[in-house]
Amino acid sequence: MALFEPKNEQKEIKYAEMRIYSDEELNNYTEEELKNFKIKHDIPDLEELEKGPWPSFVSDAKQGALHRRKLADDRMLIDRDVIEDMLGQLQVSFDDGETHWKHGGIVGVFGYGGGVIGRYSDLPEKYPSIAHFHTVRVNQPASKFYNSDFLRTVCDMWEYRGSGMMNLHGSTGDLVLLGTTTEQLEPIFFELTHELGQDIGGSGSNLRTPSCCIGKARCEFACYDTQDLCYELTQYYQDELHRPAFPYKFKFKFDGCPNGCVASIARSDMSFIGTWRDDIRIDQDAVKGYIAGDFIPNAGAHAGRDWGKFDLQKEVLDLCPSKCMKYEDGVLTIDNAECVRCMHCINTMPRALKPGTDTGVSILLGAKAPILEGAQMATLIVPFMKAEAPYDNIKEFIEKVWEFWMEEGKNRERLGELMQRFGLPKFLEIMELPPAPHMVKTPRENPYVLWKEEDVPGGWTRDIKEYRTRHKR
Amino acid sequence: MGTDLPAISAGLSLYLKGDANMDEIKKAIVEFAESSKKTKFYFKDIEKAVQKVVPDAKMRDIKKACTALINDGTLIYFSTGSSTMYGLKGRGMTEDPE
Ligand code: HEM
Ligand code: HEM
Ligand code: SF4
Ligand code: SF4
Repeated sequence: MALFEPKNEQKEIKYAEMRIYSDEELNNYTEEELKNFKIKHDIPDLEELEKGPWPSFVSDAKQGALHRRKLADDRMLIDRDVIEDMLGQLQVSFDDGETHWKHGGIVGVFGYGGGVIGRYSDLPEKYPSIAHFHTVRVNQPASKFYNSDFLRTVCDMWEYRGSGMMNLHGSTGDLVLLGTTTEQLEPIFFELTHELGQDIGGSGSNLRTPSCCIGKARCEFACYDTQDLCYELTQYYQDELHRPAFPYKFKFKFDGCPNGCVASIARSDMSFIGTWRDDIRIDQDAVKGYIAGDFIPNAGAHAGRDWGKFDLQKEVLDLCPSKCMKYEDGVLTIDNAECVRCMHCINTMPRALKPGTDTGVSILLGAKAPILEGAQMATLIVPFMKAEAPYDNIKEFIEKVWEFWMEEGKNRERLGELMQRFGLPKFLEIMELPPAPHMVKTPRENPYVLWKEEDVPGGWTRDIKEYRTRHKR
Repeated sequence: MGTDLPAISAGLSLYLKGDANMDEIKKAIVEFAESSKKTKFYFKDIEKAVQKVVPDAKMRDIKKACTALINDGTLIYFSTGSSTMYGLKGRGMTEDPE
């Protein structure tokens, strides 16, 4: 059993009971009015952004601005003009080629060091309604499983106490609420936690909101219970989430299998990817069924056009990156030791192929965005570990990594940068993990392990002076 | 695959380590913050400063002391959104930038 189970049954949120605005207030302008609507500032460059083929945040923001213009005075607690001023200031930033947001500040809710990000305009005389324009991050429910009652309740609350603008589930996973004043922060926190049963998320030098794929709730590929592990670690590491003391940010993400639906390998300092260490399960009759055309490949995905008859050789065997599959005499075989778990064959023929049954996680470390150095994908560090509640083995590994990073990491140094600074062999030594070929892409070309004398049976003798007579430094 | 991994020995202990002298650590934090020319401090810098005065103070205890000082209003958090620092309340930090 996991250490943390929800203490109370989840409260069902009913929008009909929680709503602030009537339908008339929510739909308070016509298409015609929108077409003729001009915000109070000139924003020619922003309007250029509306012209391309993509949906534009400028158009969305204008809708919000018109909506606020038409709400009654007592139907919103922060300034009516926030969105118009935000757009106006953005135009000035385009003109000047520099931002007019001050970076950072002292805002937050009591006792929390993250989740609220202070933003202040440096042109408060010109754009008074965005003098304070703080961002609030709301910890998304696991797998982003929530219904429209929940979402509409959040939207109403935010329209009332904030700007109404939000962006949902970007790289952090959070529901990001954009723009409110300092006075509104505690009431927002209260409503989120007490009325909506939702905590605020992470920001700053702490554990960021953990996020997971839909896992066992909906997906038969899941090799471990992503929601359970995500919930367990979120609860277990509350102190790390809300009271920042890390050198910099730290992200966990949980993918149930190598398909990587939350892209943990690219977006988290510690990426958990479900895997198996036995063999891919094969149902030979179902393989024949695919060949005979009884089943649609890819479970019907890409079915928008006719790709012709399913060709096992061309569409599966030839595309296996390690060429470890064979179909002979009506039998499909896989050399499992060579399988790199790309998921292609399983995705193509889900009725015939399934991940093995001895399942667990691979743990990869060090992905990051390009702030210092370049963008970096994660490096495989733990090829396989069981992932069963209460996950003590995983917690031990996490804390070992944190202990090292908190000790050696410089201020604002991500784990991935620290690993690079130390080098993989040294890092593995500190983690007390043996190097394994799985840790590098092409082990034969990349002899990243430098042996020590005691590692090699018989050791060796080497005369460095003699060597230097032949090789200049 | 199927690599057998050695048991990982460290960890968890992070949470079980005992309390050092909280009051001593708190005092060291406040003295460091008051004597510094800077107004905002990374946790790591606080940690180093405390360990100069209380050499056996553990990171976890220093963090607990910081949290206690936050909760009683002596310290405040400063955050840019991507990183967080600590400061003394009312000392030089732009609490209200207007
Ligand atoms: C309207 C267009 C905007 C878009 C499309 C946008 C998009 C984003 C995205 C995708 C992120 C990453 C957050 C995540 O992945 O969850 C982000 C972060 C952030 N945004 Fe925006 N944003 C917009 C406007 C603003 C405005 C107007 C502000 C404040 C004045 C703001 C403040 C922030 C802050 C403070 C962060 C976090 C930065 C950090 O973690 O270091 N954003 N934004
Ligand atoms: C090769 C191209 C790219 C790579 C490898 C990459 C990689 C990453 C990684 C690893 C992260 C998450 C880790 C972290 O926040 O430190 C991230 C976050 C992000 N990326 Fe990218 N990225 C790429 C291109 C882009 C592009 C073209 C955009 C936007 C136009 C973009 C926007 C963002 C945003 C908004 C975040 C969230 C930052 C936050 O949470 O504060 N990325 N990217
Ligand atoms: S990552 Fe794998 S287990 Fe998770 S939802 Fe995607 S396909 Fe399913
Ligand atoms: S998962 Fe990928 S590497 Fe493994 S057998 Fe299937 S196609 Fe080949």
